[in-house]
Amino acid sequence: MAVFPTRKRRGPIEAEDALAGWVFIAPALIVLTVFVFWPIAQVFWVSFHEWSLIEPGRPFRGLANYRDLFSDPDFEIALRNTIWFALGVVPVQTFLGVLLAVLANRAIPGKAFFRTAFYFPSISSSVVISVIFIWMYQQNGLINFGLRAIGFGTPQPPWLSNPKGVIEMLLNAVGIDNVTPWLAGPSVALASIMMMNIWTTMGSMMVIFLAGLQGISGDLYEAASIDGANKRQQFFQITIPMLRPVIFFVTTLGFIGTFQVFDQIFVMTPGGSPVKTTLTLGYLVYEEGFRGFAMGMACAIAVVLFLIILSIYLIQRRFIKESGLD
Amino acid sequence: MSSSLTRSRSSRRSVVKGGAALGGLGLLSARGSAFAQDASPSASPAGEAPVSVVAERASGEVRMAGSGDAIGQEITAAQLAGFAAKYPNITVTYENIPAEYLVQIQTAIAAGNAADVFFVQNEFAQDFMSRDVLLPIDDYMAEDGITADMYYTPLVNAYTWQGALYGLPKDWSPIGAVYDPAAFESAGIEMPTTWDELRTALQALKDATGQTALALDPNFDRFVIFMYQAGGNTTNEDVTEITLGSPEVTQALEYFYGLYTDGLSATSVDIGAGWPGDAFVQGLTSMVFEGNWMFPTLNDQAPDKEFAVAELPSGPAGPGTPAFTQAYSIFSGSQNPDAAWVLTNYLTSVDGVREMMPYGLALPALPALEGEFLELFPERAPYLAAGEYATSVQYGPGGQTFATDANAVLQSLFAGQIDVTEAQAQLVTAAENNITLN
Repeated sequence: MAVFPTRKRRGPIEAEDALAGWVFIAPALIVLTVFVFWPIAQVFWVSFHEWSLIEPGRPFRGLANYRDLFSDPDFEIALRNTIWFALGVVPVQTFLGVLLAVLANRAIPGKAFFRTAFYFPSISSSVVISVIFIWMYQQNGLINFGLRAIGFGTPQPPWLSNPKGVIEMLLNAVGIDNVTPWLAGPSVALASIMMMNIWTTMGSMMVIFLAGLQGISGDLYEAASIDGANKRQQFFQITIPMLRPVIFFVTTLGFIGTFQVFDQIFVMTPGGSPVKTTLTLGYLVYEEGFRGFAMGMACAIAVVLFLIILSIYLIQRRFIKESGLD
Repeated sequence: MSSSLTRSRSSRRSVVKGGAALGGLGLLSARGSAFAQDASPSASPAGEAPVSVVAERASGEVRMAGSGDAIGQEITAAQLAGFAAKYPNITVTYENIPAEYLVQIQTAIAAGNAADVFFVQNEFAQDFMSRDVLLPIDDYMAEDGITADMYYTPLVNAYTWQGALYGLPKDWSPIGAVYDPAAFESAGIEMPTTWDELRTALQALKDATGQTALALDPNFDRFVIFMYQAGGNTTNEDVTEITLGSPEVTQALEYFYGLYTDGLSATSVDIGAGWPGDAFVQGLTSMVFEGNWMFPTLNDQAPDKEFAVAELPSGPAGPGTPAFTQAYSIFSGSQNPDAAWVLTNYLTSVDGVREMMPYGLALPALPALEGEFLELFPERAPYLAAGEYATSVQYGPGGQTFATDANAVLQSLFAGQIDVTEAQAQLVTAAENNITLN
């Protein structure tokens, strides 16, 4: 009871403050609710229904869409391709991003030119780049021309039509046949798209790492060199540890981006051709929702995709926290 | 890569879009001269649409949606001008959907905002009809004296669902053979007319020219050529049973795959072309099986190339070819169905179709216009002849995702990952997983 009067005295002021707070954030809150929170909630809602865009009847199905999903061979194929895509692209683009950033951070002539050149693919339209790569990957395209010019054979069928798994090809070469689909690795076609994806994204990664590099105090390097550390030791003992939060950020972005890949598949290998080896979860959402008239199923895939990305993020965050860098 | 082009060319979108660059001016004048005299109603009594009864009571505004490139929109504009002159009571607003038509039209329907009249391609017509998205037009047809037999039968079949008709075909194309007559002459052969003759001819062409004579891709909408010719189909006519496991389909798969493994056909990717038509234009093959969109392509990319046209060789069950078509249909939620019908009727009638014909982008769906069309484009007679025996390319509701799966199966077959028996089993599974049976 003794506390009550004080609370009562503060009450109106608190309420007034709270009201003012809500009023101030109202515009942003309304916009976010209408364009972000509501659609997200809608995705979950739709995923529990049998839902086609063009039918008024949308019966509730509970978790049936999810059950169907996990017995759908296409889902397994898409999940497999997407995981290979992410595992192939993220480490390489991160590694190349660091490498380019370190190079572009040095006092080399034409530094601005190189920075711009490396960043250029990231700011170009991915559709335009995809179309250019379609030409380059063709039978008589630039890449095969280059391979022939330096005396190599060219893959047959050409890059984007080749459904053979790259790991499977290596295993076959050492005499191991009958590789399971999960072990076969990304197909040559998917690997070709992965290479293009790495090429387009490493520039953005470079820019982020550049910012990270410039945030590292020069004192550390100075102190290290006084202690007798050579360049290599400085790189592994100072640069990399100091870049840890940036690496976390970049790989998180990388996983989100690669798990959602759609546009490049849509332009370069529609239908996930050849033999569905480029069918990704993002593409399957489109295929089910718009061409299969099963928006409920499409939303269920989107929810699963969301959960996958969320768990990768949480695992990474925990990993980073445990190493004391939060 | 090529498959993106292959697919867009081989799908029905190309009926409208395939000939983007066909010169407009020359054709416009051709239209002027060819049709100025014919425009009066008495000129062609056989195909003249009777005066619309529904039009007497129809008025107000109608929205119409379609998908056209610059020339497609020009054609539509000309048709709508003709409509406005004939039916001044009805105002039409045209909305062009340049790309991703199916996605856009679905979202418009979901939002309750779809146009009253819109294009429906035969590949998704069954999905729409089975979901009651379209208005049955049988009553309107009876009222205005329009009968289904005014159109080629396979095209009307494409828009018939459980006894009702849901759209009138605006144009179409079958698959025909386009070949290089010089290569045929050097090989000393005539256009083959049976499966056996086709194999012999392709071998002779290969011996004479040193290159694979036929470009044929592992796409289900090309495989159906052989399936229909063998007497097979994906489902029975009522879509109550999947019939892909039949011996006819086995025979078709064996023949289709045999052409490829025996080096008689090659995929466009194998020979470095974007799609089979591109292979022919570049002179990489002496024959392709493609649709009417070959003509604008040839006109545009290789105007001097010599070519000849023929009906496809017949299979064990007789002649057969897939028909790609699109119709005008009325949205079942239309607020002004009377006016929507008058518009649909006009656009698919002799008057409306005449506006489109001189461009040559697609074939008229009305047999009554056959003579006029062949006067303009005599070389296309073999294509029109297929109106008698073509089969509308439709696989049942869910046919589009089935086609994606079926393409993957055929790609897997051509890549040597599976044999014909396994491929057929996988096609059956794909059909069971995707096609909704009645």
